[in-house]
Amino acid sequence: MTESYKIIDHNYDVVVMGAGGAGLRATLGTVEAGLKTACITKVFPTRSHTVAAQGGIGASLGNMSEDHWQWHMYDTVKGSDWLGDQDAIEYMCRNAVPAVHELEHYGMPFSRTEDGKIYQRPFGGHTRDHGKAPVERACAAADRTGHAMLHTLYQQCLKHKAEFFVEYIALDLIMDEDGSCKGLVAWDLDSGELHRFNAKMVILASGGYGRAFFSCTSAHTCTGDGHGMVARAGLGLQDMEFVQFHPTGIYGSGCLITEGARGEGGYLTNSEGERFMERYAPTVKDLASRDVVSRGMAQEIRDGRGVGEHGEYIHLHLEHLGSEVLWERLPGITETAKIFAGVDATKEPIPVLPTVHYNMGGIPTNYKGEVLRPTADNPNAIVPGLMAAGEAACVSVHGANRLGTNSLLDLVVFGRACGLHAAEVVDTKAPFKELKTTDGDEAIARFDRLRWAKGSRPTADIRLEMQRVMQGNCGVFRTSEILKEGVGKLSETAKTLPDVGVSDRSLIWNSDLVETLELENLMTCAAATMNSAEARHESRGAHAHEDYPKRDDEVWMKHTIATVDTEKGYGVDLTYRPVNNFTLTDEVSYIEPKERVY
Amino acid sequence: MKMQSDLGRVRGLGSAKSGSSHWWTQRVTAAANLPLGIWFILSILAGHTADYDAVHAWLSSYFHSTMMILMIVSVAVHFTHGLQVVIEDYVHNRKAEVISLMLIKAVAAFLSVAAIVSVLRIVFAGA
Amino acid sequence: MVEFNLPANSVVKEGKSFSAPADAKNVRSFKIYRFDPDSGDNPRTDTYDIDLDKCGPMVLDALIKIKNEIDATLTFRRSCREGICGSCAMNIDGRNTLACLKPIEDIKGEVKIYPLPHMPVVKDLVPDLSQPYAQLASIEPWLKADSPTPPDGERLQSREERAKLDGLWECILCFSCSTACPSYWWNSDRYLGPAVLLQAYRWLADSRDEYTGERLDALEDPFRLYRCHTIMNCTNTCPKGLNPALAITEIKKMIAERRA
Repeated sequence: MTESYKIIDHNYDVVVMGAGGAGLRATLGTVEAGLKTACITKVFPTRSHTVAAQGGIGASLGNMSEDHWQWHMYDTVKGSDWLGDQDAIEYMCRNAVPAVHELEHYGMPFSRTEDGKIYQRPFGGHTRDHGKAPVERACAAADRTGHAMLHTLYQQCLKHKAEFFVEYIALDLIMDEDGSCKGLVAWDLDSGELHRFNAKMVILASGGYGRAFFSCTSAHTCTGDGHGMVARAGLGLQDMEFVQFHPTGIYGSGCLITEGARGEGGYLTNSEGERFMERYAPTVKDLASRDVVSRGMAQEIRDGRGVGEHGEYIHLHLEHLGSEVLWERLPGITETAKIFAGVDATKEPIPVLPTVHYNMGGIPTNYKGEVLRPTADNPNAIVPGLMAAGEAACVSVHGANRLGTNSLLDLVVFGRACGLHAAEVVDTKAPFKELKTTDGDEAIARFDRLRWAKGSRPTADIRLEMQRVMQGNCGVFRTSEILKEGVGKLSETAKTLPDVGVSDRSLIWNSDLVETLELENLMTCAAATMNSAEARHESRGAHAHEDYPKRDDEVWMKHTIATVDTEKGYGVDLTYRPVNNFTLTDEVSYIEPKERVY
Repeated sequence: MKMQSDLGRVRGLGSAKSGSSHWWTQRVTAAANLPLGIWFILSILAGHTADYDAVHAWLSSYFHSTMMILMIVSVAVHFTHGLQVVIEDYVHNRKAEVISLMLIKAVAAFLSVAAIVSVLRIVFAGA
Repeated sequence: MVEFNLPANSVVKEGKSFSAPADAKNVRSFKIYRFDPDSGDNPRTDTYDIDLDKCGPMVLDALIKIKNEIDATLTFRRSCREGICGSCAMNIDGRNTLACLKPIEDIKGEVKIYPLPHMPVVKDLVPDLSQPYAQLASIEPWLKADSPTPPDGERLQSREERAKLDGLWECILCFSCSTACPSYWWNSDRYLGPAVLLQAYRWLADSRDEYTGERLDALEDPFRLYRCHTIMNCTNTCPKGLNPALAITEIKKMIAERRA
């Protein structure tokens, strides 16, 4: 059955996996620094999911009103429900302003203010002077900021003649015996050939895993491929229980309506026409952070005040803003509402529902981007040769809940940090580690096993079952019972993976096989998420536990590290790692935990 | 087998840094053809082309002969420019393309010069 | 001469049929172009009957349903499913568009789906787009300026200047327009095509860019630019409602303007 595959070897100083915001920024940084870089991506760069980000990128430019990076830092820490590492948060918020200016210098088409500066709008959780009132901090290019940013970064990569391997599926990391990473194996969809990339540094920027859930705003390609590779290399995943539900996914399709819609003055109502967020967040109302708004919406629906025939959704009102404002500042979502909800947003409310949107958890890294392998003695031990950035990584700047606009910021700040750090540690003159003939054998064996898989369950079948379990048992509201049941159900589903059946045997553009490889990655993420959630007996940020409704800093002020046994039934081993309770510099001091009210 | 890079192939021989005058001339002659065409149709309707003598008298006039020569030039230029585009669009054999381009230009030049000479003969020689 | 007929090995044959479950009430046929690069066989069209009552509203939903439930070998690109990534551009019901934005209800009768026209096909609905990508790179689509950037701030741009970019920067590079353009069909080796020219104009129109003259020099060519014959298929087909034909006209006007 096993045939010998044609394998092509490459040597690169740096291999970046993924060409979204973080991957492109990292690629740009390493190329600029003179490192020989390969960027491997499963979709053409401008098709990466960063393109779908709408509202803005957070930075305290102060173009519309007074703002300071320290305020931004406070909001981010509070948004994270104090689970974020404050050294990393300081690094991000401090670097936000130069990062946005840099994007503008690259040519990003930001919207403008009257005096020609970058336009900023208010966003959920972003406040002036430590929670006093909403502040305009989201730097926006209409409501297509991610699109503007991704295209700009790709253009800069073209300018610097970065080398792309487009429509290559990364299969697995190549790890050295000493525990360092020395490259990865990838499959070229176009030619069907397998490639081994020998690299002094691998940067994972593979995005999130929203597709582990049934209903999500994420693209079909958000399948946690980097997470899966890391787990198969025996490394842990951090804080996977924290999954953000975006308050305003369009009911039915799950397509995103930006928070910027509420930033521009939109608001939510229940079946009684009440602006219910006034009860849940009296100060900032509809602009509370996402977990708070999502929980408020879910509570209204549970209490029988949902809109619609079965009371299953909430109304988002934009019609009072007037069609001129909508078409100028929110043209994309006005169009999206028309296409996917059949609603004219200039005249009537849009039916929305909290929808899986972002994974705060991921591959643990420090603020330089180095991947961590926490041990009992050293919670900050690193994996040499391996870095991560973007949604795939957990730095952790978002902690238990990410603020809107901080994801685009995360991408460029930590993508850049990876580039800087790689330039520092990679010695371009040093010889490459020799690849052994057996390096990558396991990856190729896995590839071959799935390619010829003759089981009884189609990939889509197992995937759907997994997505249903995750949606039903790991949603906005969680209880011990629901989560325990979820762990059992998911494990049952995972056990059927060896019985998967693939019907396409080709090596060229075998998308059936791609989806099966992705399914294994998704299952890894799902298992880590469900088990981490089941174990965390408190409510913090996006993890709202009915049986433990309070945050418990005594016991749970710590990061979960989930190690998934991908060989045997996707069992999960949990350990913990302390939250960094210090800042990077003396210019700002550690923000002590307190109750989180908006 | 083509092994050249995509970018190399796409850049090809580089920009010709021309084409605008062709494009502009075609638009100018199109604009000129409009009043000239109206003049020509009106002349036919007015009976100036009823028979040999009528045509002769008509083209003996300085105004009408000038208009006729302008129209011959404009139509010929517009015609060759237009046909050149069609040939460039559809004829991809380089040899055939160059030959047909030269051919249409030669034919147009011959016909238009012959037409102009005929008009001038009427004007000056009274033939 | 341009070939108007398909070469013998590209002639599309009738393929397999898959019927809907017996209890399905709202059935629609999807006739889909298939090409298997491994077999060396001619392309074929397979027909899938789908119960629309158990399918999402868009053509992409139907394609995913077919892949998930009927025939996992069906191959197409897709990602965002909300019309912003540009992956699922294909020819549906005789028109290039995004499968994720095309409601099945808008199509009468059988739904015919082909890859983007006049591109080499890699497999099924997946065309090889390396040429338009290279053409994009060839116009150097990045901001070029010699004036130093402000050290601690953004370049300034007035709202009016910024408004000139609207309708240009939103392009998602799906290449529905270029592959709908007859001029691009016949001369894609030398004509840049509407998508790439729209991008070229995006930089010509940007008040921050200082290389307008050089950009126009590179574009002024009988083929690169002037193969546009204002056929307008590009504008008619753009799934994002953009107007590449207008952008091309603006480039021609700019070149005319700098002449005399």
